[in-house]
Amino acid sequence: MILFFTALIILIFGSFVFQLFLLPVIFLHGAAILFVPSIYFYGCLSLPFPLMLTLTFATGLLNDLFLISRDSHLDFTVGTSILTYLVPGLIMHGFRPLFLQHRWEIHYLLAEICALLTPFLLLIEYAILSFQRSEIFLSDVIIWRIFGPGLISLVIAPCVFFILSPLSYALRYRPGLPGSR
Amino acid sequence: MKSTTIAALGIFGILVVLTLLLPHTQKQQMQGALFQLISPVLRTGASVQQQLNGVSGGLKHLDELEQENKQLKLDNEQLRATNSLLKNLEAEVNRLNRALGYREHSSFNLHPARIITRDNSTWWNTCTIDRGSKDGIAADMAVVTEKGLVGKVTTVGKDIAAVLLISDESLHVSATIEGTQEQGIVSGTRASTNFAPDLRIRFLNKMAALKPGMKVFTAGAGGVFPSNLLIGSVKDFKVKEVEGIAMVTAAVDLADVQDVFVITGQK
Repeated sequence: MILFFTALIILIFGSFVFQLFLLPVIFLHGAAILFVPSIYFYGCLSLPFPLMLTLTFATGLLNDLFLISRDSHLDFTVGTSILTYLVPGLIMHGFRPLFLQHRWEIHYLLAEICALLTPFLLLIEYAILSFQRSEIFLSDVIIWRIFGPGLISLVIAPCVFFILSPLSYALRYRPGLPGSR
Repeated sequence: MKSTTIAALGIFGILVVLTLLLPHTQKQQMQGALFQLISPVLRTGASVQQQLNGVSGGLKHLDELEQENKQLKLDNEQLRATNSLLKNLEAEVNRLNRALGYREHSSFNLHPARIITRDNSTWWNTCTIDRGSKDGIAADMAVVTEKGLVGKVTTVGKDIAAVLLISDESLHVSATIEGTQEQGIVSGTRASTNFAPDLRIRFLNKMAALKPGMKVFTAGAGGVFPSNLLIGSVKDFKVKEVEGIAMVTAAVDLADVQDVFVITGQK
């Protein structure tokens, strides 16, 4: 279990770095391609509660350290994303009994739920920014920036799930099944 | 509820509170350390990306040559290929010459740097340059090209630095407008892209006589940006309830810029 957890942390770290090289999708008004939420949500489904919280802490902290520029610390404090990741993470953790049935069609469905929760992270970020900057407005671009990554995740999340599933087995972690360590 | 769950929640809560209450300087140090940690990866990634771009460019060229094969002889094709390569080199030389000329004639000490990544963050517009503290780069230094202002340095690692671009909403630059006494604050707009950045000048006089095409320069107030750096040109001007707001087209093509200069001081 610890091996798989470590692998997830490394993958999340690697994804943050990889995302730095990915250009935004222009025809989706600059929507970002995000791998991290899918990996994180898989962790929420597969790991027990204490490790899921640890993963949330690491992911949220890395998110802020990677993405927030120094000048934005005033309106988006480092550590805020731990809380924004926690809410959808808890929702996904609630689906764990379903995940533990180990049926591919259910895993697929859960991956799509993950994709639907991805915009939630961006929505919360946008709400915090708007609140701190005392100005809220919505435009086509902003709506695409929030929901576009979710659309992209509809494709990415199932792929991530079907890669991480064999990875967890390879690292001898079979959530909910005997023989895990 | 299990005791382990309660303990995990308790520890998690304490860690979150501690993280949120961490002093600003320590957070900056953490960010700098992380930045330094990934700097080899960013540099390698940037060079791989450049090579890949070269390969794809080459494939496109070969494809074009294949079409021309139907009409031209082999030696003609080779000449065309050479010609094309020379044109690319000429463009590169011209670009570097312009940059060099700007550096020599500028009244500032300019440190050349290359952009190695452009951040794909949803709400923040930043990029990474391949120079850091060992080159004398420090936070809050202005970043420019021969065409105008690019942004300012925020986080600095040993040999890498993050630049907050002028297209970001959180970067505020005091500005003046050519041929007028008008002053205002330029900033990016939320969720603007580097491909079509929208800048705006706020806090302008409602009666300001601004026309499209008027040039916008830094005013030099605040101590971060020297005065008279070109920011862009006025696109349009709107009068709101308490202020005038002008939209500005950035002078620098932020999506395409590769080589920049960091202003490290006055000559």
